[in-house]
Amino acid sequence: MSGVVIAETVRRHLTNGMFVSFAIVIALIAIGVSQYGQPGSAWPGFAVLLAVVTGAGVIGPEFSSGTLQLILVKPINRAVYLLSRVAGVVLLVWSVSAIAALCEIAGRALDGEVPWSLIGTALVNSMGDTLLVCALLALFGTFTRAYFNVALYFALQLTLALLVGLARRKFTPAIAQAVVAVEQNLFPDTPPRFDAEWLLLVASNAAIALVLASFIFRRREVPYGAE
Amino acid sequence: MTIEVRGLRKSFRAHEVLKGVDLDIAPGEVVGLIGPNGAGKTTLMSCLLGFLHPDAGTITIDGRANDHLDVRRRTGFVPERMNFGRAETGRAFLRYMARLAGVPRGEVNQRTNAMLERLGIAAAADKRLSQYSRGMLQRIGMCQALIHEPWFLFLDEPTSGLDPNGVLLVRDLIAEQKARGTAVLLNSHQLAEIEKVCDRVLFLSSGVIAHRETLRHTDRIVVAITLLADTFDAANVERIAGVAPQGHVVIVSVEHESDIATLVKSLVESGAGVIDVRRHTADLESIFRGAA
Repeated sequence: MSGVVIAETVRRHLTNGMFVSFAIVIALIAIGVSQYGQPGSAWPGFAVLLAVVTGAGVIGPEFSSGTLQLILVKPINRAVYLLSRVAGVVLLVWSVSAIAALCEIAGRALDGEVPWSLIGTALVNSMGDTLLVCALLALFGTFTRAYFNVALYFALQLTLALLVGLARRKFTPAIAQAVVAVEQNLFPDTPPRFDAEWLLLVASNAAIALVLASFIFRRREVPYGAE
Repeated sequence: MTIEVRGLRKSFRAHEVLKGVDLDIAPGEVVGLIGPNGAGKTTLMSCLLGFLHPDAGTITIDGRANDHLDVRRRTGFVPERMNFGRAETGRAFLRYMARLAGVPRGEVNQRTNAMLERLGIAAAADKRLSQYSRGMLQRIGMCQALIHEPWFLFLDEPTSGLDPNGVLLVRDLIAEQKARGTAVLLNSHQLAEIEKVCDRVLFLSSGVIAHRETLRHTDRIVVAITLLADTFDAANVERIAGVAPQGHVVIVSVEHESDIATLVKSLVESGAGVIDVRRHTADLESIFRGAA
């Protein structure tokens, strides 16, 4: 990991008006949830959306803009650069999730009892979800250009969801079960309470995605100019 | 500290862009790369910098693979077009580049300020890159390439978009890098610029080095002495200079600048009218026209 790249990723987002505004909106949603919603609801979904927006900028857009060429001549291993960029983005999104959880805790503390377990679970699950999102976007960014990583991410989710529906109606139960298993392993549904197995599955999926991303990025050609 | 390329080949699908390129660049040598569009200059530069993987051949820099981190630590690169987070300020961008290049944390500010000052963009240091003109972006591109004092410098059209002052500044910077022993590869379409700063020039055509020309010898000086018509005898001039005149011009190679004065004095004493003496460089335009 490169501290320089992580620090720069964090600095660049914290000086970006859009990112800061998004973070404030999530915090406000958490405060709203503390007054009117179920504990740990709504804001984790927005944290995932924030992960999509920030994770989208890893590698793919840098490839298209020509930024990567300046980075790749510097003495930094490609895999280290990729992992550091992902680490910076994940740290940022996790920080926003933690702030949202604190806002909800503070809001609920004013009214009396704080459901620590439910909010804590929401925070941990949100961290798992956002880690997987960032890892997958980084993986897709290593072999696409611009923001096609986001398009690919949503296309894959949509395709799997359609396949599950189709398999349940048209195929034998065994095939349907297999398709559901694939979908649930790639994009496991977030559980309503703390589930160590789910966390392990998400973490291993993210790790596999990052290993693959590092491998692909190390081999990827990064041409510049007209040729 | 040399850049060595042997038998470099690179294809994109069925199209072979580089067909066995060999080149060497010694420390303190400035080598120009010229050639028509599509000749493979950018592909060659991309292979040298590790952006593209060659199909065959070897690239070694200072005896190591070109993607070795120690080599990268000493490599500077100026792309033709600077693209970076346009929301960044010039200073923030340079600080990041310096840190990535391995400049010690304690020296980053001092070197950043020195480079901004040297390239004449200190006043715009805290403006966003989106507010920079093309020429200012080129200048900041030079800053990021030189901030870590590289040994190997790759310049892709570094004067593109620069005003005359900027062109002169880049010329001075290249001369400074040459003086400190940096090996420089300059890719440019501006033949006049190549003539002024390069020691050697490589003409790339259809994926091969079609022509190599030495513009400046490190161990001798080539001068062209123009004589006034009807004032000299060719045989006499040949006896004094050691070479026969080509028309009215004697192109002669000497070891020291003082030899030029001695030679001119001898020619004048023989009765020849000397009307012009200048350092002789190859006419790149003719080479370009002939080889293209």
